[in-house]
Amino acid sequence: MTKEKKVSITIDNRKVEAKAKTTILQAARENDIDIPSLCALEHLPSYGACRLCVVEVDGIRGFPTSCTTPVEDGMVIRTDTAEVRTLRQEVLKLLLSEHPASCLFCEEQTDCKNFQGTIRKVGVTTGCRYCPNDEMCELQEVTKKVGLTETSYPVYYRNFPVEKEDPFYDRDYNLCLLCGRCVRVCNDIRLNGTLSFKQRGKLTTVGPAFARTHLEAGCEFCGACVAVCPTGALSAKASKWSGKPDEVVESTCPYCPVGCSLDIKVKAGEVVDVSADYDSPTEHGLICVKGRFAIPEYVLSPDRLARPTILKPEGYDFLPWEEALDEAAAKLKAAGPKNTFVVVSPQLSNEDLFVAQRFAREVIGTEAIFSSVIFDLGSDLRSFVDLAVMSEQIDTIEETKGILTIGLDTTYGFTPLGIAVKKAAKKGAILVTVSEDECNLDMLSEEAFQSDAAKWPEFMDGIMKSMSGNGTRKSKAAASLFKKGERNVVIIGPDAIFSGKRKEIFERVLAMRDNLGWKVTVCHPYTNLMGMLAMGALPGLKPGGLKSDGVLKLKDPVGVIDLKQGRKVGYFIGEAPSPEMPKCEYLIYENALPAPSGFDPNLILPAGLFTESPGTTISSEGKILTFNRASAPFAESKPDWWIISGIAARMKKGALKYNSLAAIQSEIKKSIPGFSGKERRVPRKKVVMEGKAAAAGNPLGLGRDAAPPAAFRGVPLHDHVAGMKAIEERRHK
Amino acid sequence: MPEQIRKILGKHGRSPDELIPILQDVQAAFGYLGEESVKAISRYLRISENQIYGVSSFYAQFRFTEPGRHGIKVCLGTACHVRGGGTLLDMLERGLDVHCGETTEDKRYDLDRVACLGCCALSPVVQIDRDIYSRMTVNKLTELLKNYE
Repeated sequence: MTKEKKVSITIDNRKVEAKAKTTILQAARENDIDIPSLCALEHLPSYGACRLCVVEVDGIRGFPTSCTTPVEDGMVIRTDTAEVRTLRQEVLKLLLSEHPASCLFCEEQTDCKNFQGTIRKVGVTTGCRYCPNDEMCELQEVTKKVGLTETSYPVYYRNFPVEKEDPFYDRDYNLCLLCGRCVRVCNDIRLNGTLSFKQRGKLTTVGPAFARTHLEAGCEFCGACVAVCPTGALSAKASKWSGKPDEVVESTCPYCPVGCSLDIKVKAGEVVDVSADYDSPTEHGLICVKGRFAIPEYVLSPDRLARPTILKPEGYDFLPWEEALDEAAAKLKAAGPKNTFVVVSPQLSNEDLFVAQRFAREVIGTEAIFSSVIFDLGSDLRSFVDLAVMSEQIDTIEETKGILTIGLDTTYGFTPLGIAVKKAAKKGAILVTVSEDECNLDMLSEEAFQSDAAKWPEFMDGIMKSMSGNGTRKSKAAASLFKKGERNVVIIGPDAIFSGKRKEIFERVLAMRDNLGWKVTVCHPYTNLMGMLAMGALPGLKPGGLKSDGVLKLKDPVGVIDLKQGRKVGYFIGEAPSPEMPKCEYLIYENALPAPSGFDPNLILPAGLFTESPGTTISSEGKILTFNRASAPFAESKPDWWIISGIAARMKKGALKYNSLAAIQSEIKKSIPGFSGKERRVPRKKVVMEGKAAAAGNPLGLGRDAAPPAAFRGVPLHDHVAGMKAIEERRHK
Repeated sequence: MPEQIRKILGKHGRSPDELIPILQDVQAAFGYLGEESVKAISRYLRISENQIYGVSSFYAQFRFTEPGRHGIKVCLGTACHVRGGGTLLDMLERGLDVHCGETTEDKRYDLDRVACLGCCALSPVVQIDRDIYSRMTVNKLTELLKNYE
């Protein structure tokens, strides 16, 4: 390894070492010398807008901004002379001449705050301490640092209307300092390009083209701009008045198999907000709208199931847990193994899946362990799993030379992957997009093929034929872009997985992988698909199926068990019933939010969510990730494993005696490969079909005309998260 | 229209540096930067429409709405201001039901203000298209407008 080049500089009479090519500001911060600044931010390119970080440097005329001046060997820098201090105060005064400043200078500040002399919860920030950013404001901190206690200039209030028409965040550009952090994070980090400075001079604001809303302009609602804003100009609708969080808990996003790291913010025991973790090795903090904005409203939904409930002839009635578990056990026992099925959600934790499959097999005695994966994909599950298990890592996509996306739009999901694709395209990779309508990757694509999904297999045939040297003229145009032997990757998105042609599409992707050496990535909504495979939560698949040697032997679920036969009792664990699933006379519904209308569960068991009951999940890259506990269980809700074990103990003496999560985890460590090692990664193996395939023409899950809305545990997010409604409408336009 | 944009784009390279020359050519051809043009430029240069709008809204030379058939410019330089240029602008804003810098609904007039047209001795001055009208009054201007359909 080559040694990093260092230069030696003097800051404030201290000799320090600094990495070559860093700026004075970075060098100073690394050596714990504080220079006030509002526009510079780690991860963002230097900009030099706020002028607060000015310093004196020997041999440089005037006062250079430290965030844009690179260090040089032998540089002598002074950051805190009287002259620099006066200059900074003057700069800050000018900045504040367009920013309501009474929260900074008012003499009655403390009294006002203590005695609530003013109404604080109003939408428009007009002056006093009405700002959503109060006490979390960088401008307040910087004012303190610079030592400014009053301003001699009048405040010019720009009187821009507060923009509230978009989902998830509000914008009050009267508070904006034009530091450009939001513009830079949107363009340079997220590669999205929604935000831009508009107009000039005192009319300058930030926003998209023409009079479009952010939603219309292609905003991903990743919230990165809100996170970097040093003032209260940008604020999240749901959490803007919650104040400074008491605690930040590191956890994992449960909404898709990318497995982004999240920092969950907790105030007074409740989850109030979420932010990205830019140091995460998987997604580098490039989370999507679901992780950023759709968690607090989901876990704190007023519809949360609070107590065990039973359906009686006269209506629903609460009952204590003991009786509810007795009731479930009695019903399941009476129906017997042949007349019972269990439905697990692919979004359960490994621990819950492990306990659920043991419960079905050992306590009930059935292989009828169903899940939405099976009902969505039917006989195509095998090829789907085959492709999904070996999904390419996000970081390597950035380095590929050719990318073909099929039915993928990464605006509202899979953003880390979408950004990797964009980075690759900017570096010169060939990008071809195949989609039904315009998609967000089209702008950087070499060719955007828009057509009905029915024509996609044909298009892929064209690419394969021409890559092997004998294509038709029409298909050659797109295909000649890809070179054989180069690092190519094909990415399948939800619109392909849920299209009527998915069987044909999967076949072609498999052929591209096996015959032409393409890498494959599948963007699907089944968060813990890898966990289902490892824990054996599928019919005919035993736990520990993902072994480090050999292959994963997957039976066609359609052949193993009758998926349509109605049964007496259905036990839904973290999943909602749907019309595709078999009918049952007695429905046990264990979940956190109510079942969709049209299904009236006979017994409701309130379950805890990932912010309340800890556990682990496996990302599509095979990493074992952790959900940490951020808040106390909601009302009387209990973890899924606790409920399942409780029912088990009542059905069979001594069965599944789990009294803690640790007990389950130590058992998983013993029996599932990958969990005991230090690496925290499960082996990913090629899938081989075991036994005969079911008869062809299985139409399971093909009734849809588009990918289903984003959901968690079977419940659509847009039923409980206000902003997701606007996003769903936009997606279907 | 897309054909015409394609022609303009064809004359330029695909580097982001070409943005302003392209915008100038499009504005010269169409008189303004429409949403369709901006979209075509976005795909061609691989810059988002929002970024293009950001750049072009910075410069006074670009406009985003179809221009009117006639451009009225009221001088509000010192001399014209003193001699009632502001009253003329007021009258036009009210009479044509349009704000300064906008186009009337029937696309007949653009209304703008300028700082000085260089003939202060003849103030107040109004420019319509390429003609300069001197020593204007509200009555004279009302009559004058009838000549511009």
